Amino acid sequence: MLLGVDLQLLSQYVIAGLMIGVLYALMALGVTFIYSVMKMINWSMGQFYMLGSFIQYLLVVRWLGPDLWFVALPITAACVFVIGAILQLVLIRPMFTGGVERRDEYATVITIALLLLLQSLATVLNGPDEHTPGSHLPNLTVGTLPVSGATLAASLGGIAALILFAVLLRRTWVGLALRAAAQSRIAVQTAGVDLMRLDMIAFGIGVALAAIAGALLAPVYLVYPTNGAVTTTKGFEIIIIGGLGSIPGALVGGLLLGLVEALGSVFIAPAYQNAYGFVLLIALLLIRPTGLFGERLRAA
Amino acid sequence: MSRGLTRRGCGLRPLLISGLLIGVAALVPLRVNDYLLQVLTISFYYVVLAVSWNLLAGYTGQFSLAQQAFATIGAYTTGMLGHYYHVPIAVGIVAAGLVSGLVGAILGVMVLRLRAIYLAIATWAFAETLRITLTAAYEFTRGDLGLSVPTLLGNLDPLPYYYIFLAMAAASTLIVYLVVRSPIGFFLRAIKDDELRAASMGINTTFWKVFAFALTSVLSGLAGAFYAHYVAVISPQIADFTEMAKIIVMVIVGGIGTFAGPLAGAPVVQVVSSFLHQYGQWSNVIFAVLVIVLMRTYRDGGIALLLHAFRLLWARVADGRGQA
Repeated sequence: MLLGVDLQLLSQYVIAGLMIGVLYALMALGVTFIYSVMKMINWSMGQFYMLGSFIQYLLVVRWLGPDLWFVALPITAACVFVIGAILQLVLIRPMFTGGVERRDEYATVITIALLLLLQSLATVLNGPDEHTPGSHLPNLTVGTLPVSGATLAASLGGIAALILFAVLLRRTWVGLALRAAAQSRIAVQTAGVDLMRLDMIAFGIGVALAAIAGALLAPVYLVYPTNGAVTTTKGFEIIIIGGLGSIPGALVGGLLLGLVEALGSVFIAPAYQNAYGFVLLIALLLIRPTGLFGERLRAA
Repeated sequence: MSRGLTRRGCGLRPLLISGLLIGVAALVPLRVNDYLLQVLTISFYYVVLAVSWNLLAGYTGQFSLAQQAFATIGAYTTGMLGHYYHVPIAVGIVAAGLVSGLVGAILGVMVLRLRAIYLAIATWAFAETLRITLTAAYEFTRGDLGLSVPTLLGNLDPLPYYYIFLAMAAASTLIVYLVVRSPIGFFLRAIKDDELRAASMGINTTFWKVFAFALTSVLSGLAGAFYAHYVAVISPQIADFTEMAKIIVMVIVGGIGTFAGPLAGAPVVQVVSSFLHQYGQWSNVIFAVLVIVLMRTYRDGGIALLLHAFRLLWARVADGRGQA
């Protein structure tokens, strides 16, 4: 017993919190990655999360069955990558080529319009119905602790996606170019890299990360047109906690947020689980306004 | 001096245009039915939010994404005070303004030290957390079931509400106009153009940023309180991000470069979407596409585009006359 709380209950919450934290990190990573390369925030991340969960749901229910969820996952990611790349080509590329005066303003308004477009299209086509792809994964017992099979699978899938992302960034030519673009867009262009194509790839990868989070969490939470809202909010909170443009910040921030939610649920009340992230954000702003990692200069 | 959102100056012309729009709005009840009157009444609520947001994003460069959240705070302040303590409506509305302003000032002090992009993220997180918390705390707020609030006048005759909301929108517009015209307006635009430079010229940048943030919070909070006492049932839905998206749509459609833009944009968007309502969410799809097209092609906004088209047409007509 610790402060009148059952230790087993506590560890159960903490493990679940850390597992979900991996998926929050995935979401934050998508936002941070797009920002690093293109210097813009994609406000419609939650709608790509929603797209991912819907595509996963359709694949699993129509063709593959719940046992082959891991086959559906890369297909979902690829689909959303292509959708994201096309949307980037049509809507966001003109920011750099179309003589836009204020890029920040343009990017914000366009991605918020995209948010509205995707969300209302999903509502029109799907209605307010909620679905679940289902899961046949058995619940496990680690020691004496019960662990939900679907959550564990989501967490492992998230870790696999993170590793794949790291390999792509560290070991491939495209990854090298992307990292270079994050350091200096002008230098990359000077070196003869097609920056516009690179932006398209970066945007596609960023939204695919959100889609993977959506697809993995589809059996845990439900699939409906506004299901991305809560997870996206957490992704954005992690950005402020960890620092914009920082990959370690996104990972540490994600796990920290999962942990804080677990502790808050045990020691305060589980009903407000989704509000603890903001409390953490405010606390961090008071203690360390520059975030854990990320750019040193956050003032204007 | 300032480009982008504040390309247009702020001489007397915007006041004339705004006055004209409000004058037209005052005469509208003579011609329209009750349904349309109610739609327009709601649109005046959005006018306040859009004008406030325009002051923040347009003149100060603070891209806040929590305007709907402050309206929600106002609505729930008066709603809860009335529900639990049976406070008179007038007191509830004043309290709504104070609480929203206070929360706005506190949030402002915390996030306004950050760069613009962090400000947008932090305000988004604030708005979403507010919505989630209001939904989760259903024992106090009744969550998605909705909190019932007494109506302002005790009846549902649409005409008095129409004029009350019109007066509210006019007053907010006037306040924002006076701020923009005063030295404060120059401070704010100087901060937007180059904060470091503004600070080096002796402007207390943090103070004026917090001032603008708190002022727009008060206006939005009051609008939210009036809204609550008009629609009689409030739910966390009014804090949803689509409400913020709608405010942005209204400003873009009205013309992001203009002072009077939000005034024209809000009623137009509200009326059109109420007509499209029978087809479900299609109105939002159409507005999203419209905003994308406007941003890609004609950034001065739909109203300016219509004026431009009218001018071209007029020139052609006049030309034809000249030749004949």
